[in-house]
Amino acid sequence: MSVTRGSLPRRDAGHRRVMVIATSVVFAFLVLVGQLWYLQVLEGGRFLDASDKNRIRVRPIAAPRGILFDRHGMPLVDNRPAFTLSFIPRELPREDETRDAVLGRVASLLHIPYQDLTDAVARVPSDSLLPVRVRRGLTLAEVAKIEEWKLELPGVITEVEPQRVYPTSRFAAHLLGYVREANDEQLKQGRYRRGEMVGQSGLERLLDEYLRGQDGGERIEVDAMGRPVRRVQATEPHAGAQVITTVDRGIQEAAERAMEGLAGAVVVMDPRNGDVLAMVSTPAFEIDRFTGTIDRDAWLRVVQDPNFPLLNRTIQTQYAPGSVFKIIVAAAGLQERSLTPLDRTYCNGEFRLGTATFKDWKEGGHGTVDLHHAIAQSCNIFFYEAGLKVGGATIVKYASTFGFGQPTAIDLPGEKSGLLPRPQVTRGRQGRTAGYPPGETVNMSIGQGTVLVTPMQVARFMAAVANGGVLWRPRLVQRVERPERLVWSDQGQVAGHAELSPVVWAFLRQSLWAVVNDNGTGAAARIPGLDIAGKTGTAQTIAKSKAEKGQDHAWFAAFAPAKAPEVVIVVLVERGGKGGQVAAPIARKILNAIFFEKIAAVEIAG
Amino acid sequence: MLRIDRRLLENVDWLLLVTAFGLVVISTVTLASLHVGRAGGSVVVRQLVWFALGLVVMVFLASLDTRRLVRAAPAFYLLGLVGLASVFLLGRTVSGARRWVVWGPLSLQPSELFKICFLLMMVWALTSRWAQPVGKLSLAMMLPIVAVPVVLIIKQPDLGTALLLVPVMVILLIGAGVRLKLLGGLALVALSALPLAWFALKEYQRERILVFLDPFRDPLGSAYNVIQAKIAIGSGQLLGKGVTGATQSRLAFLPERHTDFIFAVFAEMWGFVGCLVLLLCYVLLLLRGFDIAATAREPVGRLVALGATSLLAAQVLINVGMVTGLLPVVGIPLPLMSYGGSSMVASFMTLGLLLSVRMRQFQ
Repeated sequence: MSVTRGSLPRRDAGHRRVMVIATSVVFAFLVLVGQLWYLQVLEGGRFLDASDKNRIRVRPIAAPRGILFDRHGMPLVDNRPAFTLSFIPRELPREDETRDAVLGRVASLLHIPYQDLTDAVARVPSDSLLPVRVRRGLTLAEVAKIEEWKLELPGVITEVEPQRVYPTSRFAAHLLGYVREANDEQLKQGRYRRGEMVGQSGLERLLDEYLRGQDGGERIEVDAMGRPVRRVQATEPHAGAQVITTVDRGIQEAAERAMEGLAGAVVVMDPRNGDVLAMVSTPAFEIDRFTGTIDRDAWLRVVQDPNFPLLNRTIQTQYAPGSVFKIIVAAAGLQERSLTPLDRTYCNGEFRLGTATFKDWKEGGHGTVDLHHAIAQSCNIFFYEAGLKVGGATIVKYASTFGFGQPTAIDLPGEKSGLLPRPQVTRGRQGRTAGYPPGETVNMSIGQGTVLVTPMQVARFMAAVANGGVLWRPRLVQRVERPERLVWSDQGQVAGHAELSPVVWAFLRQSLWAVVNDNGTGAAARIPGLDIAGKTGTAQTIAKSKAEKGQDHAWFAAFAPAKAPEVVIVVLVERGGKGGQVAAPIARKILNAIFFEKIAAVEIAG
Repeated sequence: MLRIDRRLLENVDWLLLVTAFGLVVISTVTLASLHVGRAGGSVVVRQLVWFALGLVVMVFLASLDTRRLVRAAPAFYLLGLVGLASVFLLGRTVSGARRWVVWGPLSLQPSELFKICFLLMMVWALTSRWAQPVGKLSLAMMLPIVAVPVVLIIKQPDLGTALLLVPVMVILLIGAGVRLKLLGGLALVALSALPLAWFALKEYQRERILVFLDPFRDPLGSAYNVIQAKIAIGSGQLLGKGVTGATQSRLAFLPERHTDFIFAVFAEMWGFVGCLVLLLCYVLLLLRGFDIAATAREPVGRLVALGATSLLAAQVLINVGMVTGLLPVVGIPLPLMSYGGSSMVASFMTLGLLLSVRMRQFQ
């Protein structure tokens, strides 16, 4: 039949066909009702059982964090399987009393404060199937106790998860940084899930997004006892990326050994490319105890420690540079021709400026000295005069071309930029002039007063002296790699140049060599068979108490071998005393370790 | 455009509207109850925003004369095809399928809206002068109208929507008066093409069909959804477990519980009795639609109403059928219940068409 546009008679064939269709649709609905009757009424009991027994446990599988390697491929930090105690909120007893009994038992078995457990349970919804981590790093004995009581501890499980492990308890703590569960603030940002391990400082924090990897997960069906019956579904975790740093593990360890028991900092750098070979800040915190669940008291002890173990002294603390700064005065004077190697001064141990008297560190003075000897023996009197000749503004100008007063732009967060004196505005006959008062210039000439530097800045400066003026941005990370590809890399970067004439460079290196090898203040760093050039420094401190009086910061900054420098080393010992006596021997130990083979070869030959 | 005759307003089908609104209320309550005591209320808010948008679209369509709409059908149809094709250019992939086009905060599913265009186009073709009388020749000419979009939609891949077009087409052909003998022949041709279709299917789609035939073929993988849904529905028993007792739904054993499997959530919470009420609502709605088709006084309105009703009917039947394990899982939302903007708007568009036909049937 045909359909045409126009009006239809009321009860037509089309009407009948619609009714047929409608009837079959209603019939189809009856089939659905029949199926529902079967599922819900006839078989309902069986399905109810099934839903009650349906205990699928969703278990996240933590991805192992990426590993940090040193420049030779030695691991700086590794992962090892560790036991974690977790609760599954939904499987804990529903009734308050029985649940409290379970928590109480766990508390007494593992000696965990009961409050910690109730807090952990209260943080998540009570019908959650996701395990809540309560304590990481259980010992085998503790795991055994939990397993023994398993039947009486529904909803309490132990899991195996990868955990950070370090060569020694405080190894490279500031450089690597610690890893802990995301804190409340980080959770609020929404980037992390509760219980997730997050790098909280150092490289672990900087490279967290690369290191963390991708967690996997599995659905496991468990029986009424909580024993896994079968794995329903699983997603494999993807390990984090590997990080190749510039650090040399051997040097780092040697430097840490040399600094044992002292407060201070060591930076070892390659002057040829700015690679940081070692970065030590002491006292260090126990990085392995920070990983996982550290109890509140231990945490507070570290945070409130008067020695500030969390502070990375290589970049986060500013010190007066002391006599190390004399190199800048000499460089500025020679380059600007306000000083010559032939200048001589008679040093009687005292220097008068107006009514003030500035002293030399050596009672009675050094006698007649020229620039070379003034550097080698660190004569203050010579440099007081030299500083005035060169002028405060010029010294500051050269100090800033050598990178002082600006952060080194190293990858770690929280770096201090140091301080250089600012010109003071005075009203004179010629109107307003900006300049440096002589008293301040005199102080600055020996690295005191308002000059403040970080050990990392000194290392970069010393590297520039060693390599002829190239200021490298200190490099800590060479590259970040995933198994199949390079994710991130840092080729190193020149941050600036300090231009001095070749004669000046030669003179400076000569004088610095003499500091160690020719009756200089750094003789304690001397190693037969290795040419070391360096400069000592003793920075006076303001004593906060009687006990601290006379305890100066000891500096030693050096490079070796002097002719073709491969390493720069900067040692700072807080309130250690004289640079030559305290810091130089430490540098010697570290250099000994670095050039062990070279020195041995010379000894055998000689 | 929005000139509405007072006489038209007198003929608004209030029963149809009340039933539809009732279903939206049930949907909102079910979605909200999935989130009682935890975060996630935004799903409900968004669903209500889509509902509001759906209402606007419905009123707009109801204000238009269906015959004029059908005259413009080829344009809509081409526009719909462009929309389908745009998925391949601009589409976002969600769980392996490119069905969504993202535009700012909105993500649209062109295949949902295309269903309406397809329906209008079919009516246009069946009532055109060149197709009269509806016989073999005109059917052959209509073939591309069906084939092109079906291929595009299967490619997305969205097997469910593609399959949906077939019953709608068949019902429209019956409604247009195609002889049963001819339809039988069509069915035979289609059956012989089935082996070909098998090869065109994606691996997971074949797996779903195989799992439908034998659910325990893969109890941990593909059948997981079906088994969990059956447990959810069955454990609801006669009277349901209530909101808090519905562990299957609330503890996330049930996948896609906001969207395609929302019926299982409802069934677990309200039991057999609740399901009867829900299905009764749908039957009422559909019978109202068929009544509009039956009492329409001109063939275009009749076919539009018939097509719109059968579109809704097919979706409800297929969705509930797959959730209860009667049909393979093909991914079709439950109209007016499932969470999802495109589906909600599309459902209200069909209601708009029905209203439009009803309002003009006494002119």
